[in-house]
Amino acid sequence: MTITIALPSKGRIKDDTAAVFDRAGLAISAVGNDRSYRGRIDGIEGVEVAYLSASEIARELAAGAVDFGVTGEDLVREGMAEVDAKVDFCARLGFGQADVVVAVPEIWLDVETMEDLGDVAADFRTRHGRRLAIATKYWRLTQQFFSRQHGIQLYRIVESLGATEGAPAAGQADIIVDITSTGSTLKANHLKVLSDGVILKSEACLVRARKPEHDRDPRIGRIIQAVQGAVV
Amino acid sequence: MPVTDMPDFARDLLEEFETRSTVRVNTPVIQPAEPFLDMAGEDLRRRIFLTESETGASLCLRPEFTIPVCLRHIETATGTPTRYSYLGEVFRQRREGSHEFYQAGIEDLGESDTAAADARAIGDAMGILGRLLPERTLALTLGDQAVFEAVVRALGLPLGWQKRLIHAFGDIAHLEALLDRLARPQPVTGLDPRIATLLASGEEDELVARIDRTMQETGYSTNASRSPLEIARRLKDKLALAETRLDGGALLLLREFLTLRLPLADASSALAGFADAAGLDLDPALARFDARLAALTESGLDLSGMTYRAAFGRPLDYYTGLVFEVTETGSSAVLAGGGRFDRLLTLLGAKDRIPAVGFALWLDRIEQARDQE
Repeated sequence: MTITIALPSKGRIKDDTAAVFDRAGLAISAVGNDRSYRGRIDGIEGVEVAYLSASEIARELAAGAVDFGVTGEDLVREGMAEVDAKVDFCARLGFGQADVVVAVPEIWLDVETMEDLGDVAADFRTRHGRRLAIATKYWRLTQQFFSRQHGIQLYRIVESLGATEGAPAAGQADIIVDITSTGSTLKANHLKVLSDGVILKSEACLVRARKPEHDRDPRIGRIIQAVQGAVV
Repeated sequence: MPVTDMPDFARDLLEEFETRSTVRVNTPVIQPAEPFLDMAGEDLRRRIFLTESETGASLCLRPEFTIPVCLRHIETATGTPTRYSYLGEVFRQRREGSHEFYQAGIEDLGESDTAAADARAIGDAMGILGRLLPERTLALTLGDQAVFEAVVRALGLPLGWQKRLIHAFGDIAHLEALLDRLARPQPVTGLDPRIATLLASGEEDELVARIDRTMQETGYSTNASRSPLEIARRLKDKLALAETRLDGGALLLLREFLTLRLPLADASSALAGFADAAGLDLDPALARFDARLAALTESGLDLSGMTYRAAFGRPLDYYTGLVFEVTETGSSAVLAGGGRFDRLLTLLGAKDRIPAVGFALWLDRIEQARDQE
């Protein structure tokens, strides 16, 4: 059986991943020329590397089309239902840190917690003739956090594919759920994170798609241990 | 859909609907998605089949009948009480079971004698299930949103707390968390001292002006979302709510109420006894509870398999009174579920308040129950 590892194909996260694999003793050599999107791990038979975009990696993991992937935890959790049954987060790699947060306009002086937001959402329809609107690309994470953890049902999601933090000032939505690493973009848009509004502390992870054939394959454990050893 | 796909008892059902003098309606399978998401919340999104029209309008496969039937009523027959019946396929994403299955039910819209209408809905559901599952013992659980609301109001909590508790009714974990907070209030901290001073001195105008100024300076519209006045008012409310403490006795009462679970036939006297012992005036709500019970008894229904459970409700803001569900005794599979939703039609755009009660039958579960044995 060939084991496929999907790694980020560009940017900082690509270089950071390569560094971790290097430290783990899993040197990757390109197949064909330097700009190839395929590689292999030197020294382990039958392990292929496929370079994909971070969101494609999450999708391929969900579909079980690859065995391992390195990508952001947020994308993996957003991309599939029953995530812990489908994949195993083997190692947190220490880069690509970012939080998925609930942020509201700074000027909402009365809203500091999810409970405050629950009060506002419950009354929103009566006051404004519509439900509270949340701009986000994280549909699943938002629903899980709002309904399951905080009993907030009455809101509407407005899909946002970019510049989410601008949506409240632009009048497209009332609040946002978005990813932030330093918080400076939120601040520049006069948004604040609720005190209990961190949905997920995400970072790049080595993720394994759970497959029955992995149980009998010593190479699986070897790869996991090597990466785990490189990030402690 | 071929007729052979229908449950084999569909004909019996249609006969029942006719004998019970209902108007049978059908609604398109493809429905605008907005009303469903707006009424039931975003959680529904994962459970329905969504698509888009060529023009970008959000459409879905009919996930249930109540909302389409109500919308149709608003368009065609506002003001005329009508009892509708329906039988057709609904489509939902489910982890177990088929994604498409049949549902049938009755929606009684516009009847102002609510006690009689409630009793008739329960009678219809029990009568139809009795015919489809002869010789089986059915169990009915009944709850009443209005009684819970009356208890909360009578406890003398500030309006904001009443709203929170009422909103959480039916979601016991959320309710418990709120009760804990009421037992141990946590004052608001971290408020800008200048704002705190304005609040303490009651200078609402100045506070509103200040919020207004900041919004303009930071590029936020003062009318697209929450207004400066709304923010200022709620900030004031919030400070008051944070200090609210429900004394031990009142908390105990509320908890005691939520544990009430007894044969429906004994519920009236038990609720009256609870109100007396607690010194709470629950009157209009209890009077309506009693009237419904009287109407049920009068209709000749056997109350012996029926239970009143005080904590039984649905955490959706359009339910207003009766909720009920029917199972086989000893089983957890809900065969019929219903309730009163007097707020739904106005939320859907009706100009006048239209009282409404109804129930849905889960035909796939009824079929399974029939197959056992």
